[in-house]
Amino acid sequence: MLRMKISTRLILFFCGVVTLFVLLASALLAQTRTVSAGYAALLGQQVRQAEMARVTQVSFKKQVQEWKDILLRGYAPADLEKYTRQFHDEETRVRSGAVDLARAVTDATCRGLLEQFVAAHQRLSEQYQGAYDVYLGSHFDFRAADKLVRGRDREPTDLFDKVVQQLNDDVVASVAAQERAVARSRSLALILVGGLLGGLGVVGLLTVRDILRRLARLKAVSDRLAAADIDGLAIDISGPDEIGQFGESMKGVHAAIEELSSLAAAAAG
Amino acid sequence: MAGKYLMAAKLTEFYSQAAHEFGLAGRIKLALLTKISSEKAGAVEDSPDNIRVFEQAMQQLRTQAGG
Repeated sequence: MLRMKISTRLILFFCGVVTLFVLLASALLAQTRTVSAGYAALLGQQVRQAEMARVTQVSFKKQVQEWKDILLRGYAPADLEKYTRQFHDEETRVRSGAVDLARAVTDATCRGLLEQFVAAHQRLSEQYQGAYDVYLGSHFDFRAADKLVRGRDREPTDLFDKVVQQLNDDVVASVAAQERAVARSRSLALILVGGLLGGLGVVGLLTVRDILRRLARLKAVSDRLAAADIDGLAIDISGPDEIGQFGESMKGVHAAIEELSSLAAAAAG
Repeated sequence: MAGKYLMAAKLTEFYSQAAHEFGLAGRIKLALLTKISSEKAGAVEDSPDNIRVFEQAMQQLRTQAGG
């Protein structure tokens, strides 16, 4: 044990405790920031992309629905104009949504699927336009028009389902990775906190035990001096701390009592 | 002779001097300041360190008596 003044040891111990808590607070803050940043990135990028994909997927389904509405109700000029406009609106939304998403995604598989979808959607648009022209030219013969595009939306639908699935899988994987990172940080923090607290506890225990042991020896000497029991008394308490200094003072008192005793003995003899 | 210093002679002389200058109280104060009683002074070496301690104690007694 280092021989330091008790006051110095107590101050050092106090500083150690304060430093430990500052370190713990800093570590906790840093961990919170890391977790927060990780989830912010996840929400701001992957979750947003998955949401964009779902919106585009719904738009595509609406576009197909608008096509069916054209075939079913297009014989009425007002409905034809209305559903044709809505069909093209959804078509534009699907195209721009898919292109924007292809630019935004970082997953190569997903980007590949989106590029395939954009191409398939372009082909489908041309086929719809052909069928539309037949529909108008045949005086609203929906059977003839439907025959030209029947089942053609299957390929882009399947492709976009795969995009949505892939993006959802990416989000799930990222959340799992984030949770693993949090668990790792938590374990590290627990180990550090446990280690530091344990270390500080051991140092504190050794310090207190050393002080109490030396105080006990000092008290034993003091008791014997108070009882004038100085025969064979050896004061072996030293050191630079307060107890050591007190022990040194005790040696003076011990010597003075010895001197008094010898003088008293001489006077009696 | 014990080791390279004489035993007792010089330190014991300090006690005689303290008794001469300050009486019995001086002896007791000398023991208190040096932490070595006259009995033990007769058993320890007249080492330069011990002599210096006794000289400083005597000086302190003289200062206290003078003050």
